[in-house]
Amino acid sequence: MNEKNRVVIPIGPQHPSLKEPASFLITLEGEKVVNAVVGVGYNHRGLEKACESRTYIQDLYIIERVCGICSHTHSTAFCQGIEELAGLKIPKRAAYIRVIVAELERLHSHLLWLGVAGHEIGFDTLFMYSWRDRERVLDMLAAMCGNRVNYGINTIGGVRRDFDAAMLRDVLKMADVLQEQLKYYLDLASTEATLIARLSGVGKLSKEDVLRFGSVGPVARAADVGDDTRVKEPYAAYGEIPVKVITDTHADVFGRTLVRIKEMIESLEIIRFCVKNLPDGDIAVKAPRKIPAGEMISRTEAPRGEDIHFIRSDGSDIPERIRVRAPTEVNWHGMRYMLEGQYLADVPITIAAIDPCYSCTDRAIVIRSDDQTDVTDWQGLRQYSIDWYQKRGVNVPSVKMPESKKYF
Amino acid sequence: MQNEQAIADRLSEKFEFLKDHITVQREKRIFTGFLGREDFEAVISYLHGEMGFSRAHHVVGTDEGEDLGFIFLLSNADGIILALKEKAPKSNPKIKSMTALYPCLELHERELVDLFGAQVEGLPEGPTYPLPDGWPKGSYPMRKDWNPKYFDKETMTYNPPSENSEKETVSKQ
Repeated sequence: MNEKNRVVIPIGPQHPSLKEPASFLITLEGEKVVNAVVGVGYNHRGLEKACESRTYIQDLYIIERVCGICSHTHSTAFCQGIEELAGLKIPKRAAYIRVIVAELERLHSHLLWLGVAGHEIGFDTLFMYSWRDRERVLDMLAAMCGNRVNYGINTIGGVRRDFDAAMLRDVLKMADVLQEQLKYYLDLASTEATLIARLSGVGKLSKEDVLRFGSVGPVARAADVGDDTRVKEPYAAYGEIPVKVITDTHADVFGRTLVRIKEMIESLEIIRFCVKNLPDGDIAVKAPRKIPAGEMISRTEAPRGEDIHFIRSDGSDIPERIRVRAPTEVNWHGMRYMLEGQYLADVPITIAAIDPCYSCTDRAIVIRSDDQTDVTDWQGLRQYSIDWYQKRGVNVPSVKMPESKKYF
Repeated sequence: MQNEQAIADRLSEKFEFLKDHITVQREKRIFTGFLGREDFEAVISYLHGEMGFSRAHHVVGTDEGEDLGFIFLLSNADGIILALKEKAPKSNPKIKSMTALYPCLELHERELVDLFGAQVEGLPEGPTYPLPDGWPKGSYPMRKDWNPKYFDKETMTYNPPSENSEKETVSKQ
């Protein structure tokens, strides 16, 4: 087939697989992808700039909102960087609590991904099962931290809430239930012929390419690159906890699925270890308002891979520069090579298989300036969009809509 | 710390100009001082080719007053991160793209172009990142003198007060 028969399809920025914006310019020869251009940046709202005009403690709340899914990993990286600059040593109990929340976060993030992956390949039963199980983890996080996401557990110098014995008992109960489910998912993923056939060989990224493009997390580990910050550069309490790095050699979406499911089972082991060995004592030390001048590079292992924070302090209570390098930001580089040579129908699952997080990449923040809570109904939302377009000179045809159904 | 110090010593030995400008901050962290373009390119090629620093994690842009700073975070197989710093004057902020050595820096270098106004020579063609189409030319939001209160989101224009008008306001007060 010559170049004349190539078709270029712009996909997005409304996303083909997840509900976040990114654009993909896919060039096809027949059904095969011969080129792909990835465009991201639609969510960039200047979070790092916002941090440069607020105090460290105010920034903590912004940083926690870098990502709705892995908010804890960002606040951990941020806090431990500042703690190191300030020469603070957090209490052991706080370090263990950070690990428990981090592993619960990994569980709910991977379960979310498993559901999305199931949905992308038309396996909606898996989607419903895994999202049901994710609710167990989110309920646990809500009980322990007060919120399903954006847990607000970290503070500079330790953690803000302690866990009581009843909570820890509930975590262990949840872990037992989840263990059975995860074993079932692992059995399903390893033996179900349709699932294996659908995912094998899709979105290949070899070990050499992983190292070349700097891919991280389950994408790298599924290609037999055993990088895991929890082991490579232990932080919080990971230095005292046995962590098994899960790797696989398939280097495709199937391998990434196995890695994520096995990592969840490993997370349960880590949680059990932490609950059993949770030290007594304080949960935080007092942190100074002003942080000594210096630069710090802080690393954590987010559910999607290595998360790096660069912090520069000038000695005041406001940071001079904060830079968040989320894992998805590097995983995009290999995407083009994963898509090339694939069938068009494999594009959504290939994109979903890096577990992309656009807010992480673009560092989004939504600021609500009012202190009132409004619930907008369907009609109100429609009117808002009509007004928005009319202000910009676009006349929306006056389509009659049926009477609004009251959802709220 | 032995490995880290050995790396720092080897670099200081090879590059005279690094002698007082390389610090082992702690285990797995080495920082250099800011280098000019030629020195920087020589060091990064050596690190990549001879010293096993084959992974790049990121490049952080900074505003250093008269200059722009670029902090490249590189690592070796032991996970030792070396922060190699380059600087270029704001009046001529040209740097060479390092995507030939480290393809994973492409998105980060695009960010330097959009947010700091760096001119990255040799950066592969592709969509801009992360600012939207129609962003005012010559307006670099991560520079310290860029103030969000002068940016009009409706018209996508940046209208800082001129130096004279600022002085007038101060004198009236």
